[in-house]
Amino acid sequence: MVSPILIIAIGLGAAFLLGFVNEDRKGIAFALTLAALAAMSLIALGWTLAFAAGNAQTADILTAGFPPPFAINLRMGPAEAALSLLVAATGFLSAIYMRDALYRHGRRAMAVLLVAIMALTGIVMTRDIFNLFVFFELIVIATGGLVLLSEDRRALAAGFKYLVVAQVISIMLLIGIAFVYHAMGSLNIDDIGPVALGFSGAGLALFLVLVALFLELKPFPANGWALDIYESAHPGFSAIFSAASGSAALFAADKVLATSPAWLPLATAIGIITFIGANILALRQNNDRRLLGYSSVAQIGLLLTIVGQRDLLGDSYLFIAGGVLVAHAIAKAGLFWMSGLVGHRDLKDWAVLRANPVLIFAFATFVAMLVGLPPFPGFYAKWDLAHILMAGDRAWLVALILIGALIEAGYLFRWFGFATKREAPEGFPGFSVNKMGIVFVTLLAGWTSGWIWGDLSANPNVLSMVPVLFALAFLVLEPLPARIKNLIAIAGLVGWFVFRYPAYDPLQLVFAIIILVGGAVIFLASFNWQGRRLGFYPPAMLMYAGLAMLIEAETSFTFFASWEILTLGSYFLILRGKMSEPHALSYIAFSLGGAFAILAGFALAANGTQPFEMAALADVAQTAAPYVFILLAVGFMTKTASIGLHIWLPGAHAEAETDVSPMVSGILLKAGLFGLWVLLMHMGQTQFYGINLTYFLVWIGAISAFLGGLMAIFQEDAKRLLAYSSISQMGYALFSLALMNHLGWLLALMFVINHYVYKSMLFLAVGGVYARTHTKLMYKMGGLITLMPFSFVSVLIGIIAMSGVPPLSGFGGRWVFYNAIMTADMRLPIILIFLSGPIGFLYLFRLIHSIFLGQLKDEHRKLKEAPFWLLVPQMIFVLFLLAFAVVPGLILRRVDAYISTFFPEGGLEWTSGGIISEFGYWNPVAIMLVIGVIFVSVFLLLLWMNHDAQKVKQFNIGFAGERPYRPETTHFAWNFFAPYRKAMGFLVLPVVTTFWNAVTDVLHETADFARKFYTGNGQTYALQALGFVVVLFLIGSGGTP
Amino acid sequence: MAEIAMMSGFALILLGIFGALTNRNLLRMIVAFSIASTGVNVVLVSIGYLPGRTAPILDAAVPLESAAAQIVDPVPQALVLTAIVIGLGVTALMLAYAYSLFRHRKSLDISDFTELKW
Repeated sequence: MVSPILIIAIGLGAAFLLGFVNEDRKGIAFALTLAALAAMSLIALGWTLAFAAGNAQTADILTAGFPPPFAINLRMGPAEAALSLLVAATGFLSAIYMRDALYRHGRRAMAVLLVAIMALTGIVMTRDIFNLFVFFELIVIATGGLVLLSEDRRALAAGFKYLVVAQVISIMLLIGIAFVYHAMGSLNIDDIGPVALGFSGAGLALFLVLVALFLELKPFPANGWALDIYESAHPGFSAIFSAASGSAALFAADKVLATSPAWLPLATAIGIITFIGANILALRQNNDRRLLGYSSVAQIGLLLTIVGQRDLLGDSYLFIAGGVLVAHAIAKAGLFWMSGLVGHRDLKDWAVLRANPVLIFAFATFVAMLVGLPPFPGFYAKWDLAHILMAGDRAWLVALILIGALIEAGYLFRWFGFATKREAPEGFPGFSVNKMGIVFVTLLAGWTSGWIWGDLSANPNVLSMVPVLFALAFLVLEPLPARIKNLIAIAGLVGWFVFRYPAYDPLQLVFAIIILVGGAVIFLASFNWQGRRLGFYPPAMLMYAGLAMLIEAETSFTFFASWEILTLGSYFLILRGKMSEPHALSYIAFSLGGAFAILAGFALAANGTQPFEMAALADVAQTAAPYVFILLAVGFMTKTASIGLHIWLPGAHAEAETDVSPMVSGILLKAGLFGLWVLLMHMGQTQFYGINLTYFLVWIGAISAFLGGLMAIFQEDAKRLLAYSSISQMGYALFSLALMNHLGWLLALMFVINHYVYKSMLFLAVGGVYARTHTKLMYKMGGLITLMPFSFVSVLIGIIAMSGVPPLSGFGGRWVFYNAIMTADMRLPIILIFLSGPIGFLYLFRLIHSIFLGQLKDEHRKLKEAPFWLLVPQMIFVLFLLAFAVVPGLILRRVDAYISTFFPEGGLEWTSGGIISEFGYWNPVAIMLVIGVIFVSVFLLLLWMNHDAQKVKQFNIGFAGERPYRPETTHFAWNFFAPYRKAMGFLVLPVVTTFWNAVTDVLHETADFARKFYTGNGQTYALQALGFVVVLFLIGSGGTP
Repeated sequence: MAEIAMMSGFALILLGIFGALTNRNLLRMIVAFSIASTGVNVVLVSIGYLPGRTAPILDAAVPLESAAAQIVDPVPQALVLTAIVIGLGVTALMLAYAYSLFRHRKSLDISDFTELKW
C-alpha cells in the first residue's frame, strides 16, 4: 500500500512545483495539477479497494517520528479512504471542468485548488485537533481564492462575507481547542473525552470546538454566507464546496463527537432543524445554484442528524451515513456541474437540457439520488435508518426526517418538471464537451454507487432484479424505432408472465394477468406512435417492473422497493402529457408522501428485524399494530386516490398521453388496491381503541365512491370525467374489501378486473376521439356515432359493463355486491354506495350522449374513425367483456376457492346452471339470452316505428327567453346536470383541494418570509453565527443541571 | 499573572468581535479581527503559562533532565506561532479582497455588498 501521507505530500508538493512553472506555460501547469489530483485519487482509490476487499487494516501514520500525542498522526480507515477518494476525485473532475477558468487565472489558481483538495483530505485523515484547525484555515484561505474563479462579479462580495464569518468561527475553534488541550493535556482526538454534556470547564471547551465545527457545516439559520457562495461561485468550485468540503467538515464533526457520545443529541437537534428549515426555505428559490445551496445545507443537516444517532445505529452507522453522504455528494456535484451547462440562472432555464436526452436522464438520476429513491445508496440508507430509529423508539425523528425529505422531493421534482416541460430557448449554442463529459462520468458514478450499496446491503440489490434490469435495458434501446421497442416491451411482459405463471397463487394470478397481460394489451395501442418516442419506454417498463415485483414481494423490503420503483416510473410516464407538469408534481408529492408512510409503517412493524416477511404483519405487537395499520393504509390509499388523498388523480390521468391514461388508471391504481389487500389479509382485525379499523375504511370507501361519482358528473372534459370515475370505482373496491367477508373480497376482485377492462377501454376510446377532434370537451363534440362506430361500440359496451345493468359483467358485480352487503351490518355507508350506482349511470350516460349522439359539429364532418391501433385493444376488451359476462366462473371460481381459505363462510356455489348464494342465484347465460331477446324485440319495434321519426336540425333548440352570454352555453350538453349541481353542488366544493393548497401556500409563505432573514450583509451573517452559538449555549446550559 | 493575561486576552477578543460587527468599513473590520486574533493568541499563551517557571528553551540554565519541572508548557506557544502565521494569511487575503472590492465597487462599506441575499 502506498502511504496515505503521500496524498497530502503530492498535493502540497505539486502546489509548490507550480511556482517553478513558467507563467505562460499554462498547459504544463494544468497537466501537473491534473496529474497530482489523479495521483491523490488513485492512492485513495487503492486504499478504498483494499478495504473493500478486506486486504487492509486501519493504519495510523506517524509524522515526525514520534507517537501521538507528541506528534500529529494520520489515520487511514475505510471511512477515511472512501472520503479521501470522494474529495480527491471531486477535485480531479472539477479541475477538468474548470479548465477554462484555471487557464485564465494561471498556475496560482491551480496551486490554490491543489491546496484546497490537500487540506480537505487532511481534515479527513488527521487525528490531531489543532492540525484540524490548520487544515480548516487552509480551506478558508483556499475557498477565499477559488470563489474568485467565477465570472460572476458578485462572488467578490460573497467571498468577503465568507471570510468574515470564517474569522468568527476560527476564533471560537481556536479558543475551544486551547481549552480542550488545557483540560485533557493532549491535542490528540483519541485522548479527548469522554466529556459529559455540560457547559463549564471541559464541557465548555468541547462545546466551543463542536459549535465551530457545526458552523462549518452551515447550520440553519446561520448559513447565509454559504448560500451566497453557492449562488455566485464557479459551479465547478460549488461542486467541491458542497460535495467535498461538506463531507470533510462533517467527518471532522463526527470524529470529535465520537469521543463524547453525550453530545450526540446536540448534533441531532441542529441537524434536523437544518434539514427541515433549509428545505422549507428552498421552496421559494428561483435561482438554480442558490436552490442547490439550500439543498446542500439541508442534506448536510440530514447527515448531521444521522451522526447524532450513531449511538443507536451501531454497526450500520457507516452504511447509512455513507449511503446518504455518497448520494448527496455525487448528485450535488453532478447538479452543480450541470448548472454550468445552463446559460441562465432561473430554474426554468434548465429546459435547455432537453437538447441532449442523456442530460435529462442525468438530471432525473441526480434528483432520484437526492430524494433517496431506488436503486441509489440513499434508498438503502433511508430504509435501514427508519428501521433502526423505529426500533429504538425514535419515531418522532423518523417523522421529521420524512417530512423534510418530502419537502425536498417537492421542489426537486418541480424543478425537474420545469426542465422537461417549459419552453426551451431558441438558438441554442451547444454544450461544452468536457463539461458534459464530467456530468456523464458523475452519472456513471451515481449508478455504480447504487450497485455498490445494493451489494453491501443486507437486503436484495435492486439493480440485480431481472424486471428492473429489463426496464433499464430500454435506456440502451432508446435509439431504436418505437414500434420495435413496443414489440420488445410486449414480449417482455408476456414472457415474464409465462415464466412466473406457475408460482402465482390465485390472487397474484389475477393481478399478474391485469398487470402483465393487460399491460401488453394496452401496449398494442402504443403501436399508433411512430418515430423513436424518446423517454416513453424506460419509465413505462420501470412502472411495470415495479408492479410485477410488487405482487410477488415476500419481504417488506422488496415490497417497498417495488413500490418506489413503480412510483418513479409512473411519475415520468405521467409527466409526458402535454399539460401534465403540475399534475405530475402533485402525483409524485402524494405518492412519495404515501411511500414514506408505508416506510414508517413497515419500520414500525418490523421492530428491528430484517428481512421482515409480509406475512409477519399478522404478528405485529398489539401496541404497535393500529399505528402500522394506519400508516400502511394511508400509504396505499394515496395510490387508490381515496377521498382526501385524491386531488392528484384527475389531472394526472386526464392530462396523460392517450395510451398512458389506461396504464396509469387501469393498471397502476391496482397497486394501491393490492397493498390494501395484503394489509387486510394480515391485519384485517386490528382494533384501535376498541374500534375495528376496517370500519373507517368502509366509510372512506363509501364516501370516495359517492363523491368521486358526484364530481364526475359535473365534468366537461371526457378524460377528467373518467378520472373522477376512477376515484369512485376505487372507492367501491375499497369498500368491498373492507367489508371483510367472503363476498366482499370476491366483489373487490371483480372490481379489479372490471375496472381495468372498462376504464382502459373508455380511456382509449376517448383518446381515439381526441386524436381526431383535438378536444376533450364533450360539449364541443356530438353525433360522432356514424363517423366512429367502433369507438361508439366500445364506449357503449364499456358503459353497460360499468353501470351494472345486465347483461354484462357489471351486473354480475352488482349481484355479488348486493349479496355481500346483505351480510354486512353497516347501514349508512351502504346507503351511500347505493346512491353511487345511479350517479355512476348519470356520468356514463353523458359520455355516450354528448360525444356520440346528437348533432354533428360542422368542423367534424370529415372525421375518420379513431386510429387502427387504438381500436385493436378496445375490440379485445369488448370481446373479453362479453365472454366474462357469460362465463365469469372461468376466473372467479378459482379466486372464490382461494378466498375461502380466509373466509370459509359465505362463499358461492358454482353450478352449471348458475351461481348460487345465500340469497339467490345468478345465471349469466340466461340473463344474456333474456336481454338479447328484449333488445332485439325493442330494436325491431323501433325500426318499424321509424317512419314516424323526424330528423332534428341543428339549432332546433329553444331557449326560455334567455340570451346566451357565452357560446358554449347554447349547447345543452354544457353543464348538462345543472339541476343536480343546484341540489348537490355543495358536496363537490373543492374542500380537499383548498386544504392541500393551503398547506403548500403556508409552506411557501413561510419560506418567503423567513428567507428575508438572509439580508445579504456580511455583518448580519457574522452576528447570526454568534447568535446561533449564544442561543445554543443558553438552551444547552438551561437544559442541563 | 496568567489570569490577567487571560482576562485581557478575552477582553481583546470581545473588543475585536464587537468592532468587527459594528464597523461597516471593511478595513476597520479587518483591523478589528486582527485585534481579536491577537486576543486569541494571548489567551493561548496564558493557558500554557505555569507560575514561577521559565521559557521552554533548553540551554545551560535549563538542563534536559530537569526541564519538565522548570519550563512552562511549550505546546501552546507552538500553537500560537502557527496561529499567527495563519492569521497573517487570512488578514492578507481579506485586505486583498477589500482592495479588489474597492476597485470594482468604489466602496468600502460592507452594507453596500448585499446584492446576494434571500
